[in-house]
Amino acid sequence: MNPVDLLGKIIEISHSNLDLSSRLSAILNIISQDMQFEEVLVYTLDKDKRLTCRFMNPKSILFKMLNQYRCHVGEGIIGSVAQKRTPQYFSIKDISPRFGCLFYPELDGLLENYRTFSFLPLADDSYIYGVLVLCSVSKESLQGPERILLSILSREIGGILRSFELLLSSKKRISELAMLSELGKVLISNVEPHELIKNIALIIAKSLNATFVTIKLEYVLLKLDSQRFTYGIIDSSIQDYIEQLEQSAVKLLRPASLRNSALDQFEGTFKFTLYSAPIASKNRVLGTITICGEKTTQPHILEEDGQYIINTIANYISSGLENTLLNTRLRDVVRELTDAQKRLIEQEKFRSLGEMTANIAHEIKNPLVIIGGFTKRLAKRTHHEPTEDKYINIILKEVDRLETILNEILNYVRESPSLADECNISDFLDEILYLLSTDNSWEQIEIAKDFDPTLPAIPCDSQQLKQVFINILMNAHEAMQGRGKITITTKLVSYNNQPFLSVSLTDTGGGISPGILDNVFNPFFTTKEKGTGLGLAISHKIIANHHGHIDVENILGKGVTFTVYLPLKNNSTKEEFL
Amino acid sequence: MKNLRVLVVDDEENIRLLFKEELEDEGYAVEIASNGLEALEKLKNSNFDIVVMDIKMPGMDGIQTLNAIKNTNKDQPVILCSAYGEFKQDFSSWVSDGYVVKSADTRELKQTIKNILHLQ
Ligand SMILES: Nc1ncnc2c1ncn2[C@@H]1O[C@H](COP(=O)(O)OP(=O)(O)OP(=O)(O)O)[C@@H](O)[C@H]1O
Ligand SMILES: [Mg+2]
Repeated sequence: MNPVDLLGKIIEISHSNLDLSSRLSAILNIISQDMQFEEVLVYTLDKDKRLTCRFMNPKSILFKMLNQYRCHVGEGIIGSVAQKRTPQYFSIKDISPRFGCLFYPELDGLLENYRTFSFLPLADDSYIYGVLVLCSVSKESLQGPERILLSILSREIGGILRSFELLLSSKKRISELAMLSELGKVLISNVEPHELIKNIALIIAKSLNATFVTIKLEYVLLKLDSQRFTYGIIDSSIQDYIEQLEQSAVKLLRPASLRNSALDQFEGTFKFTLYSAPIASKNRVLGTITICGEKTTQPHILEEDGQYIINTIANYISSGLENTLLNTRLRDVVRELTDAQKRLIEQEKFRSLGEMTANIAHEIKNPLVIIGGFTKRLAKRTHHEPTEDKYINIILKEVDRLETILNEILNYVRESPSLADECNISDFLDEILYLLSTDNSWEQIEIAKDFDPTLPAIPCDSQQLKQVFINILMNAHEAMQGRGKITITTKLVSYNNQPFLSVSLTDTGGGISPGILDNVFNPFFTTKEKGTGLGLAISHKIIANHHGHIDVENILGKGVTFTVYLPLKNNSTKEEFL
Repeated sequence: MKNLRVLVVDDEENIRLLFKEELEDEGYAVEIASNGLEALEKLKNSNFDIVVMDIKMPGMDGIQTLNAIKNTNKDQPVILCSAYGEFKQDFSSWVSDGYVVKSADTRELKQTIKNILHLQ
């Protein structure tokens, strides 16, 4: 075959649809037959800067041996051709060529059969892809035109390798992008967080063909049943390694990996590579994602740049995850609020229903008392036939029955005080103060507030409690004759080792004279012309019903401090409302 | 013995009648009033040993009347009477001397009056 035909044939093959190794072995075969080279071999350069003999002409004898050893760039003839990117030609007379990193006696013996050796770099202008090796038994040396043809062929083979590499990396990019777009879709979907995380694990595992993907949440905004979400099966023997890796990823705030080489004990059983990356957002670690790629004969997508991929994934999902977590929290809060509102409406309904029932019961009660009362009188007054007595007794029994029912209803629906209200004392006092301040007579009264903002809400009957504080404030107002200062302090105190909330109200009304101090809580005790003397008495009763108490501290000539103590919600009987 | 005087205050005519007859059977001299103001008027003009008063009345209710009575005469015994059992614990009624749940069975009322007036 003339060189032009040969070249044409090779170009035809290289442009065919065959896979890489078929194309290369066809080309190497043609070169071998047409140009009389018994050995035509291709070394390719791997990511780790080592060369491996991967392709051969079908009749090659040396391949089996050379394939077992890999050599570094710069090492041996192959390594140096790859490094210098210039062809080298030898004949057996020159030297027994050292191919790679090693001299091997078996190889030396075989090499004696060949008379020429050619080594050509497979490269383009910027990058080296491998080395072409040709050995001939018959040729004494290579002539100029032959060398030129070989260098053209080596360019062509280099081109094949290059486009294959490009294809491979673009395929990888495409699958990466496809995965990210899948993730993106999931992240903006409205699913529950645990569904979301499960989906993330599934998508990543599927698209990376991973043995398993496990996502562990560190920072928990949510009440999720589980902290770990796994797609695939975790071999129990590597459980500990996963946890170690996750910890170091969180500590270092960057991806960490564990190559199978580090785990000699797994050699031969289960070979794997683990990658872990922190899922971090705004300097807060939400969790970690760990991907396991099993080592197979096919180079795994994770093998080469697993750290880069996992980091991309982790970055991608972190903000989405954060958003989802926040959204869900928000949704929970809104739901809780809606629930609370519903409950309030129910309570309100119940309350008015209760009131209505009470009113009806009350209205029935009077006629019933009258019927029953007069029937009793009838029974007492006259002489009756036995049947009349019987009828009267039936009426009385039924009246009795109805009365019992009514009493039950009336007692049930109007129990006092109902500690059903949850009241935030600061807001509560503010509300009262606002109410009072709408009256002109409070214009000249300065109110100083010192509220503890951390006080919990307390159970109370807010209507009754309001009456207490209004009574105390009105007394202060009256004592100061509409001019002065009221200081209101709230805080948490301990009384008999029980937590109480205290509200102190201090006025500048001159105080109470010691002689009457003991009487101020008595009903009808008043020093005011139009007073009823019931204000403090009622207040005392209400606070007692709340299981609290009121103290007076009197500074004669200055003012009075009334302190109301109210018990905090008892923790053991605490109802989980919100 | 001079009859002890009872004032029954209730807005319901037949209740007044029932209580009046029941108490008269017990030997009391009973007068009636149909609202708070009328009761205060009667109390101003004559003395009663005890007042039996409904709580729920239109206009001036039993509690207000009770307060007004006690303001004028702290020692005037008053028994509150209502369909509501729970007023027994209510702060507004505990200033009264007694509390009776209205019932066709008037024994509790009669007993409460006796207790307050230290009879028997
Ligand atoms: N802040 C105060 N400074 C001085 N004296 C006070 C103060 N608070 C209460 N007192 C005294 O205690 C008495 C009883 O108070 P209470 O509130 O029980 O009845 P009142 O104010 O007289 O009448 P009302 O029932 O109309 O409020 C008052 O008359 C007053 O002498
Ligand atoms: Mg007062």
